[in-house]
Amino acid sequence: MIQHFPILAIMVLFLGAFLTVLCGKNKVLRNIVVFAAMLASSVFIAFLIKPIMIDGEVITYWLGNWSPVADYAIGICLVVDQLNLFFAILVSVAVLLAGVFSFKYMSRDDTLEKYFTLFLMLSGGVMGLVLSGDLFNMFIMVEILTFAAVALTAFRNRSEGALEAAFKYLVIGVIGSSCILIGTTILYSQFHTLNLAQLSVLLHNNLQPATILAFTLLLTGFAVKAFVVPFHPVEADANAAAPSSVSVIISCVLTKAGIYGIIRIVYFLFRSMNLAPLQFILVLIGTLSMFIGVTMALAQKDFKRLLAFHSISQVGYVMTAIGLATALGVTGGLYHAINHTLFKGLLFLCAGAVFYATGTTNLDKLGGLAKRMPQTAALFLIGAFSISGLPPFNGFVSKWLIYQATYEKAVEFGNIGYAFVTIIALVVSVMTLASFIKVSQSVFFGQLPDEFKEVRETPVPMRIPMWIMAALCVGAGLLPQYMMRYLINPAVYAVMNVGNYIGSVMGPGYAEKIAGQTVEAYSSEFALAGYWSPISWLALFAIIICAFFIVSLSGGKLSKKIHSDSPSGLDPKYDTFFSGEANEHSQVGGSDLFWGFKHNLRHYFDFMHNAHSGVISDYALWAFCFLSFMIVYLFIIV
Amino acid sequence: MILFYVLIFPGFLFCFIAGLLLAGIDRKLVARMQRRIGPPILQPMYDFFKLLGKETIVPRAASRKTFLIASTIGLASLVATALFIPIAGFSAFAGVADIIVILYLLTIPAVSLILGGAASGSPYAGVGISREMVALMSYELPLVIILLSIGKAVGNAMGGGITFSFTEICAYQMSFGPIISKWSMIPAAIAMLFVIPCEIGSRPFDIAEAETEICEGPLVEYSGTPLAVFNLNHAIKMFIMTALFTSLFLGGFSTGIFALDVLIFFVICVAITVISITLLRAVTARLKVEQVFKFYWSVVSGLAVLSLILVWLGL
Repeated sequence: MIQHFPILAIMVLFLGAFLTVLCGKNKVLRNIVVFAAMLASSVFIAFLIKPIMIDGEVITYWLGNWSPVADYAIGICLVVDQLNLFFAILVSVAVLLAGVFSFKYMSRDDTLEKYFTLFLMLSGGVMGLVLSGDLFNMFIMVEILTFAAVALTAFRNRSEGALEAAFKYLVIGVIGSSCILIGTTILYSQFHTLNLAQLSVLLHNNLQPATILAFTLLLTGFAVKAFVVPFHPVEADANAAAPSSVSVIISCVLTKAGIYGIIRIVYFLFRSMNLAPLQFILVLIGTLSMFIGVTMALAQKDFKRLLAFHSISQVGYVMTAIGLATALGVTGGLYHAINHTLFKGLLFLCAGAVFYATGTTNLDKLGGLAKRMPQTAALFLIGAFSISGLPPFNGFVSKWLIYQATYEKAVEFGNIGYAFVTIIALVVSVMTLASFIKVSQSVFFGQLPDEFKEVRETPVPMRIPMWIMAALCVGAGLLPQYMMRYLINPAVYAVMNVGNYIGSVMGPGYAEKIAGQTVEAYSSEFALAGYWSPISWLALFAIIICAFFIVSLSGGKLSKKIHSDSPSGLDPKYDTFFSGEANEHSQVGGSDLFWGFKHNLRHYFDFMHNAHSGVISDYALWAFCFLSFMIVYLFIIV
Repeated sequence: MILFYVLIFPGFLFCFIAGLLLAGIDRKLVARMQRRIGPPILQPMYDFFKLLGKETIVPRAASRKTFLIASTIGLASLVATALFIPIAGFSAFAGVADIIVILYLLTIPAVSLILGGAASGSPYAGVGISREMVALMSYELPLVIILLSIGKAVGNAMGGGITFSFTEICAYQMSFGPIISKWSMIPAAIAMLFVIPCEIGSRPFDIAEAETEICEGPLVEYSGTPLAVFNLNHAIKMFIMTALFTSLFLGGFSTGIFALDVLIFFVICVAITVISITLLRAVTARLKVEQVFKFYWSVVSGLAVLSLILVWLGL
């Protein structure tokens, strides 16, 4: 029975999409169908945790029961090993929470049956991508999710820029999908099979020029999906235009799907991660994404665009960590992937809540919302501190792993370049903190403009997924040992040990028979520096804070001495000090903060401003230049 | 026992006394350098207790809870940092600490100041917090490079590549002498001496609390107990940063009597304060925001990178 759960998890999402079309006009029925579909999918994935993560099995499901004949895999298969399940858990959590959020959030839009249909198709496509074991099946799922995402980006087609953003996403997305298709075709023509496990064995030590070209194309295609530099401008446009629940999926889930594809290509299919130049290029792309993402984010005026650039930066962290090809690096990368989904999802949901309440995401127009929406402000701060990597939230743990991984790699390989990667990563972290301080000052603190004096707190149906995500953020930060033991370590083991996967899919002994040797495993040993026990930290903090409250309470009747304004609000003692200026002339807009920083880097920002021209032909040109460069580079190094 | 560490030594009470004493000595010496008499050395303590007795006014536009809690968060994280830095070789939670954790803990007081300013609802505070953030970004880069180079230097000598643990650094200094005696670490020491005034926020790098330009920046709407705690944070930060410098670069001495060790440690902290904070404060004017950023990312980072490269080459 449990064999069928992978296909059921995917099927139930598509079935939900089709049923939503049928019963679309009836709102209650439609909501029930959508919720049931997402919940069922998550439940199926949850049931797979015990056998796969804890017991270490790998579940292989051949569609239509077309098992391999004479060691030749013709049928389509779904394979769920620890890495697949890791990403499937990530996808199902994000989809469920974003979906529940969108019930209330989208209630002011119309034609919602189309929205939910597309949403379920998107979720089904991503779930299919992370669970499939067959290259062409992955391509099909990539196509489904690309088109669904494009349509959802344009969903609010009356708002300015939505159609344009969707068009740009379409162009770049199709470039990526085409690369994947051509790569798949080349591999099929060489080896007459599309099964990942079988290809992995047949490709071992058997690289010809055609397969190197296929490697490049596949790598570029999935890099486009992950929106790393230089494909990143489109993600900013798409995330700014899409409804926030869809932005969660685009920036948190689709980018992880791209990362999953890259891991499968380099670690499994081509098993070439022990080549130092390949590690170098992946780390370089990751580092560039980190830096460019965060510096561009500091210059943004729109809330969701800023969050999208931070997504690019955090995916750069994941890419850097995965490119290191050490067990510690992959651990840090995977941990950061799931942390990013959690905190970035929370931040996008907060942006959605602000948009729902005020109708704008322009940082210059917002301000002072913490007084009217205190819970949203608190949730936003949790997300902001998580992404900046402050203890005791989850970002700290994963970033610490990444810093340690890059610095140790620098030491192990005597290459000081990786030490600079550590430094850049730390500086990017501080700049991330800067950017979120700017956002919180512009949106939640500061002065409340007159038009927002009547906004209300986010409705409860929208707040519940946000609280759940915040709780997961805090939980992942406080209990990293459980996360590592049950989620991350099995996935890292799966990444480093390809033989397990191949043996389960094609039958044991296959690899030895064809390739004449057993599949070697990378070393998965690592030791964490220092002893990080967040529970003891939190206990320490709590003790200290308690101590202070005791001291301050005993030092004077604190509550009596704190004076606030009278309810009628007229006593000038409680005005903010303006040194004589009138109130309405004194608001410091969001884009005016960090003037000094932007002034110093003005040459860099001018260059970036001109480079991000918004013309889609430019972005496509970058994509093709990157592709050509990678082709030449990989031919040289292999 | 933990309660003793948290509340008495090296926690709250010790930091309170040491920090406020350092602040008082600094004020007195600045005054003397400027041919004034200056306040008594215990003046910051008098100020603290005076402020505790004053009325706390919460402005209408402020977010009340954040406004009141922000200072306590900073104080809690500073005391937590004090528990991890080895004071005269003794740290309350040895083996748990790492340099990266200290680095992150040190950003929390700055973030608490930023939160407090953001919660005030005042435009001066808004400008002040963005300047504080620029200062944070400026000094984080050289600080990171300095800590990485120390980690590598100690790791080289103790075998094992790198170390991030304070206990190892102290053990290294016990056997090999203070780290500053390695000539390749002297640029890093000078860079750290520049990082200290920026982190504390004293002239010429006090762009955040610029009294003449933005009316105290983040603290403009504060009064009473929260203001007392913020001033206390400022003083304790002086102590923490100089203690960090001493334990990283000038450790390795031990007379055997713990109380005497602590006293000598404190005297060295005073000396560092005089060199890096007081002297600069007495004779300079405030730099502009972009000048601070440029200075830290070019000169100070350059010194730190020089040390990193020298250490990497094995010198």
